[in-house]
Amino acid sequence: MSIMSANHLTKIFQNHTVVDDLSFTLETGKCVALLGPNGAGKTTTLRMLAGFIKPSQGNIQFDEEQFTKDIRHYVGYLPQYPVFHNWMTGEEFLIYVGQLAYLSKNDAKTKAQELLDLVRLGDDKQKRIGKYSGGMKQRLGIAQALMHDPQLIILDEPVSSLDPIGRREVLNLIRELKKDATILFSTHILNDAEEVSDDILLLNHGKLLKQGAIHEIHSQQETKTIYLAFQDEPKFIEERLKEINSVFNIKRENAGFAITVHDVNEARSQLLEVIQSEGWNLTKFEVLTSSLEDIFIKAVTE
Amino acid sequence: MQWQTIYKKEMLDHWRHFKWIWVPIVFILFAVMDPLTAYFMPIILESAGNVPEGATIDIPNPSVGEAMIMSFSQLNMLGVLIAVVISMGLISRELSTGVYELILSKPVRYSHYITAKFTAMMTLLSVSIIIALITGWYYVTVLFGDLAFTQLLTSAIFYIFYFMLILSIVMVFNSFLTSPGLVAFLSIFTVVVLNAITSIFDHVITWSPMLISDYIGTYFFSGEIETDLYFSTGIAIIISLLLLWLSIFLLKRQEMH
Repeated sequence: MSIMSANHLTKIFQNHTVVDDLSFTLETGKCVALLGPNGAGKTTTLRMLAGFIKPSQGNIQFDEEQFTKDIRHYVGYLPQYPVFHNWMTGEEFLIYVGQLAYLSKNDAKTKAQELLDLVRLGDDKQKRIGKYSGGMKQRLGIAQALMHDPQLIILDEPVSSLDPIGRREVLNLIRELKKDATILFSTHILNDAEEVSDDILLLNHGKLLKQGAIHEIHSQQETKTIYLAFQDEPKFIEERLKEINSVFNIKRENAGFAITVHDVNEARSQLLEVIQSEGWNLTKFEVLTSSLEDIFIKAVTE
Repeated sequence: MQWQTIYKKEMLDHWRHFKWIWVPIVFILFAVMDPLTAYFMPIILESAGNVPEGATIDIPNPSVGEAMIMSFSQLNMLGVLIAVVISMGLISRELSTGVYELILSKPVRYSHYITAKFTAMMTLLSVSIIIALITGWYYVTVLFGDLAFTQLLTSAIFYIFYFMLILSIVMVFNSFLTSPGLVAFLSIFTVVVLNAITSIFDHVITWSPMLISDYIGTYFFSGEIETDLYFSTGIAIIISLLLLWLSIFLLKRQEMH
C-alpha cells in the first residue's frame, strides 16, 4: 500500500529548474533514502512533500482514506539545519511543539520526556537550547519531529552534521523508527542509505536517475566485479586474463586484480580454468557486489 | 488550545527578554518627562544663572489638560517608535532564522500564529501604556490640579486602539519580509505618510485614526467625548482587523527558499 505519491513534480525558481519531473510513490512502512550529490534538489523535494513550498507543476497525493485532516498532523519533519527558540529549554520546546500538534499538556510532557531519553538529551533538558552543541540540536530536531507520532517522517540530512558516534546513534534510531512509520530521508552519504533503507531514490540535477529496492538496483547492474589475489604475482597475468572473452576490464587494486565481467557464472568458470591450467597460486577469489557508491558515481557521471 | 499555547509561549518570550520590565519603565519615562520639565522650567532657568539682572521670567503654567496632553504626545512619538522596534522581528526574525520552518511543520493554523503573537504583544503594550499614563496622571494631578481618574482611564482605552493599528501595520510587513530592520523602517514610513496625509486633509478626513490623540486632547478640555473620537477609533479597529487578515493571507503565500 502506498502512503503517498508524487506525480511529475517540478519546481522552478527564477527560470532555474531545481526539481524536474519527479514521479515516485512511498510504500507504507518502508524506509526510503533520497540520494544525490549536493545541489541535486533533495531539500527542495522534501520541502515540497512537507508542504512548505508548492510545486510549479505536478502534484503530491496522500492516501485520502488514511489522512483526513491537514497533512501536517501525520508528517514529522526535520529540516537540514534545525533552528529553535534559543531562549527556551529543550524540554520546553518539545512540549511547545507537542501542544502545537494538539497534544494535551500532560501528554506532551510525557512524550517529551520519552523522546529526550531516546535521543540522550535527558540530562540537558533544563538547559537553554542556545547552549546546546550542533549535535545536540540535531538530536533535538529529530525529537521534535517525532512529538506527535507521525506516520511519515521526513528527515533532511539527519546525520551529515554529526560525529561518527552521533551518526551511529541516529542510524540506529532510524532503524528503530522503521517499525512503526514510513521514513524518507535525504543523504549524500551512501553507506548510511545502504545500511538502513529499503528503497532508494537517486537524484541528480533535479532528475530521478534510479529508484527501487536496494537489492534490485544491485542486481540490475550489467557488470560485476571479481577480485583475484595471488601468492606471487605470475608473469604476463594481465595479458593472459585479457584473452578471456567474458572479461571486460582489468584493474590493479591493492595486491590483486579487480576484474570487471559481464556474466559472473561464465567468467568464474573461465577464470578458474585458466588459473588451474596455468598453475597460479590463487589466494583469494571473491565475487564483489558493486557497492551503492559505484552505482551512484556511475549514474551521476553518466 | 493551540492559540493559547502560542500566546503563552510569546508571553514567556517577552518575560525572558525582560520586555515586561523595560517597556513599562521606558513608557513611564515618556509619560512623565514633559509634564515634569514644564513644571520645573522656571526653577531650571533661574538656577541656570545666566539670566540678566532684573529680568523677569514669566512662563505661564500649563493647565491640567495641557499637561496631560504632553504625556500623550511623548508616547505618540517615542512610544510608537518603541512599539515598532520591539515587534519588528515578531515573525520576520522567525522567517529569516528558520524557526518558522519547525513551527509550521506542525499543524499550526496561520491565523492562530498571527493573532496569538499579535495579542501577546498587544497585552504587553496595553499594560505598559496604562501604567505609564496612570503615572503621568499622578504627577499631573499633584503638580497642576485635578483631573478625574475615569477620564484618564477612558482616554487610555481609546489610545490603546491607536497602538493596535500601529502594531497591525507592523504585522503586515512582518508577514512577508525577512529583515526586521526593513520591517521597522517601512512601518515607521507608513505611519509618517499616514500622519502627513491626515494633517494635509484634516478637514476632510476627520475620522482618521491618526487624530485619536488629538481628540483625546480635546476630551481633556471639554470633558465630553466627541463623536469623531468614536469614529476614528472605530476606523482604527476595522483597519487593524483588515490588516491582520491581510497578514494571515500574506504569510500563507510565503514560500521559503
